[in-house]
Amino acid sequence: MSYRADPIDKTFFSAERTDDLAVVGTVVQRSDALGHVTGRTRFFEDLAPPDLLHLKMFRSQRHHARFSNLDLAAALATPGVVRILTAADIPNNLYTPLKLIGVGPDDEPILAEDTVRYLGDPICAVLAETEAAAYQAVGRITVDYTDLPAVFDVEEALAEGAPIVNEYHGRNYFSYEGHHCRRVRFGDVEQAFAEADHVFEWRYQSAPIEHAPTETTGCIVVPQPDGRLRIHSDTQACFFTLDNTALILRTPFNKLRIVGGTVGGGFGGKVDVVVEPVACVASMLTDRPVKFVYSRYEEMQVSSPRAAERIYIKDAVRADGRITGRKITLYVDAGAYARHSPYGTTKAAAHLPGPYTIPNVWVDAHCVFTNRTPSSAMRGFGVTIADFALESQMDRIARALAMDPLRLRLINAYRDGDLKAHRKVAEGTALVEVIQKAAAMVGHELPEAYRRMSSTSREATSREGA
Amino acid sequence: MPAQIVSLVVNGRSQEFIARPGSTLLGSLRDSLGLMAAKRGCAQGSCGTCTVLLDGAPVPSCLVAVETVDGRSVRTLEGVARDGRLDEVQSAFIDGFATQCGFCTAGMIMVAEALLDRDRDPSRADVVEAISGNVCRCTGYEPIVAAILEAARRRRDRAPGAAPAAAGAAPAAAGSTG
Amino acid sequence: MITAVRVPASVDAAVDLAARGGWIMGGGTIVMPQVNTGAVGDIELISLRRAGLGGIQPDGGSVRIGAATTLAEVGEHAELGFLAAAVHAIAAPSIRNLATVGGNLFAPQPYGDFAACLLALDATVGIAGPAGPRQCPVDELFRTGPAAGELVTSVTVPLPPAGAWFFHKAMRRKLNSAAIVAVAAVVRTDGGVVTAARIALGGVAPRPVRAFAAERSLTGRPLDRAAVAAAGQAAQADIDPADDAYASAWYRRRVLPVHLRRALLADPPIG
Repeated sequence: MSYRADPIDKTFFSAERTDDLAVVGTVVQRSDALGHVTGRTRFFEDLAPPDLLHLKMFRSQRHHARFSNLDLAAALATPGVVRILTAADIPNNLYTPLKLIGVGPDDEPILAEDTVRYLGDPICAVLAETEAAAYQAVGRITVDYTDLPAVFDVEEALAEGAPIVNEYHGRNYFSYEGHHCRRVRFGDVEQAFAEADHVFEWRYQSAPIEHAPTETTGCIVVPQPDGRLRIHSDTQACFFTLDNTALILRTPFNKLRIVGGTVGGGFGGKVDVVVEPVACVASMLTDRPVKFVYSRYEEMQVSSPRAAERIYIKDAVRADGRITGRKITLYVDAGAYARHSPYGTTKAAAHLPGPYTIPNVWVDAHCVFTNRTPSSAMRGFGVTIADFALESQMDRIARALAMDPLRLRLINAYRDGDLKAHRKVAEGTALVEVIQKAAAMVGHELPEAYRRMSSTSREATSREGA
Repeated sequence: MPAQIVSLVVNGRSQEFIARPGSTLLGSLRDSLGLMAAKRGCAQGSCGTCTVLLDGAPVPSCLVAVETVDGRSVRTLEGVARDGRLDEVQSAFIDGFATQCGFCTAGMIMVAEALLDRDRDPSRADVVEAISGNVCRCTGYEPIVAAILEAARRRRDRAPGAAPAAAGAAPAAAGSTG
Repeated sequence: MITAVRVPASVDAAVDLAARGGWIMGGGTIVMPQVNTGAVGDIELISLRRAGLGGIQPDGGSVRIGAATTLAEVGEHAELGFLAAAVHAIAAPSIRNLATVGGNLFAPQPYGDFAACLLALDATVGIAGPAGPRQCPVDELFRTGPAAGELVTSVTVPLPPAGAWFFHKAMRRKLNSAAIVAVAAVVRTDGGVVTAARIALGGVAPRPVRAFAAERSLTGRPLDRAAVAAAGQAAQADIDPADDAYASAWYRRRVLPVHLRRALLADPPIG
């Protein structure tokens, strides 16, 4: 067996290329493969400290509710249960992960105070000698809910009179320096629509997508002889975790040490700081190692998915296939808490209108709160679903114009030196060459004029086109 | 609550430990015997990361109440390499990039070992069925299937009495993608 | 939580334990996932793994299968070769190495494909209990359930005539997936005309069900597309499907006639 080790094709962009690649294009074994095939790779749960306590979470059974009369008596009486943590035990019970880069407000409790905002919102944490005892105790906790109106749809959440999902924001959208969404304004789209040969408008919708890593989210926190805490976690974001945890614990940052980097599948789903802070509090209060690992049910229902998105794309199109105006309204369903969604929405806005040079672009990208599971990153965070919409739109335009969809893209592809809608100059573009090469590989015929196109210069746009 | 002493032969060695009611074979291997290769992924028997060989047959060890297999023999990934020498399945997984995060790897290798113990020349369909209870979220499965078929080939080609070739030693067929 | 795990060495010992309450467990593929969630009350587990309930014995025109026989063992047995395709459609090899014939009788729908096979085959179930041993047809077991303290000890399967056994399971994936619709049938023909039909359906009702209306529709007709299409329409009266993660009730109704045809006429799937 061999893995592809074809020589690098150096005919593309040869003027820009320095021939100094010593590793790219060769076959290099993964450094971690030996550990994986012998079973010696240490995932966080492969640590077995003596005296370990197990933490299992009691979670909201409602989408949006106030709760009261939390009754822990039967749970505390369960043999093996050591302690149950509530909001009162958390030194600083409100945070948002992006506070580390100055993004606010803090909007998410580690343990709910009196309000739950999505199905699965954590309320209290049972600590027990065995996992079975912890689960049994969780099953014995009772609470009274008063349901509040809930909203599950991004446009309904933004409509007049919609119930407020998260009072720390006070409105159902994330506010970007006083603006209600991320905005891109470039040229005059309304003028483009007025002058267009065709106007096409379509709506796209994606569902939340769960990463479903084979290893669930979790950590083990171990008190150290020097009084510090050592956190063994499968997070993808060690420093986010370390720094946010320190702020939640109100402890100096150097009191925590995080051991991580071995992740049994992340895909962007292990970037939220959801297990370490409460496990650290538990470890501090009991002076024992504490493990908090999600069940498969929690991984599916509670852990953050890729955000559902709704995207409207309206295009002004010339008869020859050139897109002269693109207007996009995009809604990211952040769920009940902001987490990384403000950043993902910003990425989406910056990514639009796609890798095409369009002289008139208008974008409103909204980060919207609903009573759904808080969403977060997943491969191509903020960009992947936008690409699904953009490329579906291109195919539909091509169909409407009875035009080859590859030719439509070649006509509109950005070239080096083009100004993008968010005012960056495109450089190092290669979409044209990628399409040409892919077409050649599958035997898709392109006329000569299209085969001569190049990313480094734009040929004259022509109504007499190919 | 009556705990029991359970005896197992694990990777050829007799072991004894105390099991509380509700203990699974997986929990006993990991928590009582320190054998961490078999993983906890779902506790439902759906993901395959806990797969070990029970008297040579692959089972989801998270679904086995350990008292019910007292006296039987278990093989885990820790028992596959001999004297530090990787076997053909392990080497082929390395050579064929059949691991990424590594979490499914223990289960995949154990079902491959069981398959090759019963069938020296499995078809692709045989391999696909053998791993049908093992979830991989990283590789898209093709490199794993290819690695198992390659391991079967290497094992068939091995001279009797010879040790398995090390990873990277087998010559690559030019232009093939495995 | 689990208070004790009993591994009785005989059926009588198992019956005594069951009388005291406790959860009967065959292979553990249904019981242990629930135990692992921790959402069980204080209860004993009674494993049948060592109670002498294994074994597959041919017995004239039938085969007697011990209730603790695994699905894997059934799938590999020479006398039961006609069931191999059905067995291989159930779960995955590692699950089949644990799951038992007895346990599959109690698998909640849409699982329990082997139970649907037994229903089509007119299998008889051997039961042990405080009132002594008894036999009952598998249909009756599905209707009434076992009495308190009873456990299934065996399943006896009449072997169908050559060419009379049909099985097809529609799944969302090619392997290791629950039934959208499972069709198991023994259809006897004489000169191409159906003389008797026992059709069981899985995935389309709270239990495996006999498709009585489809059977009546088919009997006396040639086993051809027109007759099977009519039987598929008639079968709508036999089912009570539900929505689940695999398929909606609407979808199950809609595709039932297609899968009945694929089972009985070996129609290749499209594409």
